[in-house]
Amino acid sequence: MAFYDSLFDHLGLRDWCDGAKQEGPMSMAELLAKAKGNQAAEDAESFPFPSLDALHEACGAMPRTREMTVGLERLFLDVKDGLKVVLDPITQPLSWMLDGALWLFASVPWWVLLPILLMMCWTVTRNVRVALLVTFSFVLLGFIDHLDSAVQTLSIIFVCTTISVVLGVPIGIAMSKSDRLQKTTLPILDLLQTLPSFVYLIPLIFLFSVTESKLYGIAIILYAIVPVIRLTDLGIRLVDRDVIEAADAFGMTGRQKLIGVEIPLALPNIMAGINQTIMMSLAMVVIASLVSAPGLGVLVLRGIRNLELGVGLVAGLGIVLLAVVLDRVSKAALDRIDKSKAGGL
Amino acid sequence: MTEKSAANLNSQIRIQGLHKIFGPQPELMLEHVRNGIGKQELLADYGHVLGLRDINVNMRAGEITVIMGLSGSGKSTLVRHLNRLVEPTDGEILVDDEDVMKLDEEGLRELRRRKMTMVFQRFALLPHRSVLENAAISLEVRGQDVSQRVDEAQRWLARVGLEGYEASYPHQLSGGMQQRVGIARALAANTDIMLMDEAFSALDPLIRTDMQDLLMELQSELHKTIVFITHDLDEAMKLADHLVILNEGEIVQQDEPQRILMNPADGYIEDFVSDINRARVIRVRSVMRRDSTGREIAGEVDHNDTLESMIALSGGDTNHNYRVMRDGNAVGELDMRDLVKALTPSVVARSAGGRGQSHTIRAGS
Repeated sequence: MAFYDSLFDHLGLRDWCDGAKQEGPMSMAELLAKAKGNQAAEDAESFPFPSLDALHEACGAMPRTREMTVGLERLFLDVKDGLKVVLDPITQPLSWMLDGALWLFASVPWWVLLPILLMMCWTVTRNVRVALLVTFSFVLLGFIDHLDSAVQTLSIIFVCTTISVVLGVPIGIAMSKSDRLQKTTLPILDLLQTLPSFVYLIPLIFLFSVTESKLYGIAIILYAIVPVIRLTDLGIRLVDRDVIEAADAFGMTGRQKLIGVEIPLALPNIMAGINQTIMMSLAMVVIASLVSAPGLGVLVLRGIRNLELGVGLVAGLGIVLLAVVLDRVSKAALDRIDKSKAGGL
Repeated sequence: MTEKSAANLNSQIRIQGLHKIFGPQPELMLEHVRNGIGKQELLADYGHVLGLRDINVNMRAGEITVIMGLSGSGKSTLVRHLNRLVEPTDGEILVDDEDVMKLDEEGLRELRRRKMTMVFQRFALLPHRSVLENAAISLEVRGQDVSQRVDEAQRWLARVGLEGYEASYPHQLSGGMQQRVGIARALAANTDIMLMDEAFSALDPLIRTDMQDLLMELQSELHKTIVFITHDLDEAMKLADHLVILNEGEIVQQDEPQRILMNPADGYIEDFVSDINRARVIRVRSVMRRDSTGREIAGEVDHNDTLESMIALSGGDTNHNYRVMRDGNAVGELDMRDLVKALTPSVVARSAGGRGQSHTIRAGS
């Protein structure tokens, strides 16, 4: 006799309950109860919470919680094939880009690669101290034989950040232009930002093969794209109303206004968003090593799995070094933009 | 207005029955506003804000029309209707006999590019562009080629006294210089109409006077149709050919400044103008006699000379008499005693009359 029997009797649902009754496999709780005999039944709460499991006891037609979980899984697996047909071709270029970048960075000898990286830093920052920091970091990483891994991590970040910016900036602009779009997009961004980073991997593992690079590529992009969208939206909304009014008064078209006024004035904010995006993709690229993303993360993972303390720590410090370098370079680039119109607003 | 029909002939901008109501359902409120509901009542009973009520103004080509009012009087809203930065609730705005209200997006853009430009209170320069690029913005928007727009912008920058600053950025300039860029930017557009929204209000007094002089000087040469917004009566009196005084979204009085000064419409205007330096505003033509006094003529003066310059000329001697000239012809005579009487605001004259014959002359505050 279960607690909620009378409820279903009163509602006149007894026939429906019994008619659909089917014994599924026993749950662990039931198994334990059986082992302990009738004693367990007496221990049962006199007024249980009307959960799915409790209701199932009284009425066989009610699903159990674990059936719901299984149902969700089945639903996901059912739509998976259809989803794959759509998503696979769209995301395939991502795989190519990631593999291409990895191959490119790996095949360039270090004495070419390092000067190129240094040149790039110099072009965007024009800052001697940052250039020295970059040189020092890469020489150190090379000296302790971690250069290859670091460069792999770096190439993944390059690709993912570029794609995040290419997708994120237009989304941010569209959001700044439409309050409705902003209202619908913000909850999604909140979700992406609060979802624990491991959870990103779960549906992706089912959707894509672990051997494909796009798996971790998508995980990183989803995680890292949020700040650049948010700050682009914010930056454009913060552009001085007076200047926008002037642009209107001089008969600028929407496009002239966007390219000539709004984006340049929002650039400091957009750059701050890009800085955050770089940092977040670095954070994710380490976790993504669980799903075969190469780089320093693999070494950290090895440290955890095999309890190789030294390997894990050194790789971890390498990541910190990389993080510092990326942060300094992008911040120095941001400073340069700010300086060109300091006090302008 | 008696001269309204005459003014219609060469009015470049005509505003007719313009209403603006802010709120969720402005059209429904129009009826109440037409029936004369007060601003406070409209806000308390219906939650709408009355922006402008039944504005009718004719602005003549080549003149400076000053719209003056205290903050919240709707003057900035009014000027933004001219290029439709603000959409009206009801009414007509005719620019060169073309109804601005009926323009589509493309037509409106053309109007803003070719017909009227604007100078802003807080300059609104593009901070990431150099002074030269800022001045050339209207030409850039129109799609003129680079060499042409550089020449044009350089010419106007030089004209407003900013030669040598072309490569600077706005934040490197002082407020007055930034507004000079704003004026050069507006002039470079080469439009007939120039809207100036409290253009000099953010500047300190000395710079403001400089800028007013610059504007007068440019205007004497360019003869643009200027709509100038200000809350400063001295500035309004100095610049205006036609003065429109706005209070709580309604026009209280509009006329030539000195006529407003001589015949204020009501107590509000009277209070308003009582502190003004009358000698600087009132011109000889307003106080001269058409007939001859028969007295000795001390010299010839222009009909547009201010009383201030007359006082200086006569050395303060009220016994002199001058012949008033207009385009080389004598149009009347000025008795310095009339001039002194005209310096007394009617408020003061009345209260002085009450206290007997003790004359209190409050000229030149």
